[in-house]
Amino acid sequence: MKLVYQFQANLRKQAIQMKRYAPNTIAMVLTVYIIFISIFAGIQLIGNPETQAVTIQYTIINYIFWYLAMMLVNGIGYQIMSETSEGTFEQLGMTPSGIWRILSMRLLGEWVLHSIMVVLLLFLSMLTTGQWLNIDIIAILPIFLITSLSMYGLSFVIAGLTIVFKQIQALLQIFQFVLAGLAFVSLSSIYYQLFLPITKGIAMIRAIMIDGYQITDFSTMDFTLLIGNALIYIIIGLSMYLCCESYAMKKGLLAHY
Amino acid sequence: MNIIEVSGLSKTYVKRKTKEPVKAVNDISFSVRKGEILGLLGPNGAGKTTTIKMLCGLLKPDQGSILINGVNNAKQRLQALHHISAVLEGNRNLYWRLTVRENLEYFAGNRGFSRKQVAHRIDTLLVLFNLKEKENELVNRLSRGMQQKLAIAVAMLAETEVILLDEPTLGLDVETSYEVRAILKEIVKDEDRTIIITSHDMAVIQEVCQRTIIINHGKVVADEEISNLMRLFDVRAYTVTLGAELTPAQQALLESEFITYDYQADLIQPLLSIELTHAEQLYQLFDILKRNETPVEQIDRRTINFEEVFIKIVKGEAVDETSLSISSELA
Ligand SMILES: Nc1ncnc2c1ncn2[C@@H]1O[C@H](COP(=O)(O)OP(=O)(O)OP(=O)(O)O)[C@@H](O)[C@H]1O
Ligand SMILES: [Mg+2]
Repeated sequence: MKLVYQFQANLRKQAIQMKRYAPNTIAMVLTVYIIFISIFAGIQLIGNPETQAVTIQYTIINYIFWYLAMMLVNGIGYQIMSETSEGTFEQLGMTPSGIWRILSMRLLGEWVLHSIMVVLLLFLSMLTTGQWLNIDIIAILPIFLITSLSMYGLSFVIAGLTIVFKQIQALLQIFQFVLAGLAFVSLSSIYYQLFLPITKGIAMIRAIMIDGYQITDFSTMDFTLLIGNALIYIIIGLSMYLCCESYAMKKGLLAHY
Repeated sequence: MNIIEVSGLSKTYVKRKTKEPVKAVNDISFSVRKGEILGLLGPNGAGKTTTIKMLCGLLKPDQGSILINGVNNAKQRLQALHHISAVLEGNRNLYWRLTVRENLEYFAGNRGFSRKQVAHRIDTLLVLFNLKEKENELVNRLSRGMQQKLAIAVAMLAETEVILLDEPTLGLDVETSYEVRAILKEIVKDEDRTIIITSHDMAVIQEVCQRTIIINHGKVVADEEISNLMRLFDVRAYTVTLGAELTPAQQALLESEFITYDYQADLIQPLLSIELTHAEQLYQLFDILKRNETPVEQIDRRTINFEEVFIKIVKGEAVDETSLSISSELA
């Protein structure tokens, strides 16, 4: 039950902030909406009519992954930067369940809010353009969920770095392009797929959409890579985060001095 | 029973730019009884905040151990946090873009309470802290004093056995500081609650606390009941009104015998203020006065205030026969 209340509290805080920063939120929603519409329109203009639908689906899925990764991974970095300088981070540090639990609840909250928003906007774009994509939700959903877990782990890598190095805007800006690369470039090597975040998930979704795979068509190897990647990132992310936190507590870095 | 047990605590920071080490806390030991209100007093940079942060597990000590309700907070940090909550220095440990009530609800949520579970407690606290009309106001619109009160309310909401308050009246105007002190006095009536208040403002400590630990340069220089501390210093301060001026020879003698002495000849009647380090020094004083048969018109025991006591202790002017543990290096 405690976990549920923690989640509620953090989700509520995010929702309140979205409401209170309405201009920002509206700008964000509009941007995503315009990008969706442009993907539909742009590909229609320049693309090959035969592969059009597939290309649109593919680009949109890539974009959604990139968007979510940015919101979670970079988002947590910016959050920690402002909270350590404002002093609220130390307050979180006195939570008996540990800072990582609060951050996890926040990531989950962000993930829920942004996923809902993206789905609604996608639906709205389809409504406006009159083009209905045939997305196989049943097949995509489990892969999407597992891929999100590797984003969760990756977020903790950034969280740890932010606590120790504080002003890491420059790194986050570069990271934005790294995430874009991971989301848009398809890499087929097993090693890349195992060790780079998101890559395997995107490759599988591509197989579903372009080659018409069903969830049952994937081999055990595919799922091993997908789940293995998520586990690797969760383990690396959390242990790296905890190490950084412990280092910060030795050096007195939880607040600006 | 001691709810807090601190022994041999030390912390050295390394300055980020110069890499120079700063010994912020240097081998501090003390204990706090359950239900006690302890004042941690010290000048700027004494190491108060550093000590508080180690107590609430935000900073790892280099050496020493801390037991909170029997739980070692180095080994079981999160477990220890169930027993302790803190308001750190400054007014920025709240979410400025959330309202008063939202802040309370958010922090309670992080500790695993639902809004429903804490609704009643929040109302009680809002009334106690006189923030009820402001409950839907954004924190960045509140005055410094209201923010400080809210921060204390947030810490109290957790209902932990121990509450640490770092400089609760810092930067408040006289009126608000008075209000916060009044609230603190109200809070400390709860006998189950142990509170540690740090301050460099003696008035706060004297008003609210029973015992004080004075630290300076990271070391404990006094650990006493405040009333004892006052008594110790009180008896030794005298003002002597003289019937004639002192000779230069007498003045020189007084100066060599007494650490603190002040002589004002330019008044209607010369006035000698003196402080004794031993009770026997009173005889010395009279010996010196007797040399020239200086008439004594009046002797008053000067009432010394806590502020003076504090300054003396920090300067290391306290004395042997007392129970104060003053390290000589501080003088
Ligand atoms: N994070 C830090 N890095 C380096 N030095 C620090 C850090 N925090 C505190 N110090 C230094 O350690 C010493 C003790 O600081 P501390 O904040 O504990 O004192 P304080 O008693 O709370 O003082 P104040 O009354 O000013 O709040 C000071 O010399 C301070 O400059
Ligand atoms: Mg301080």
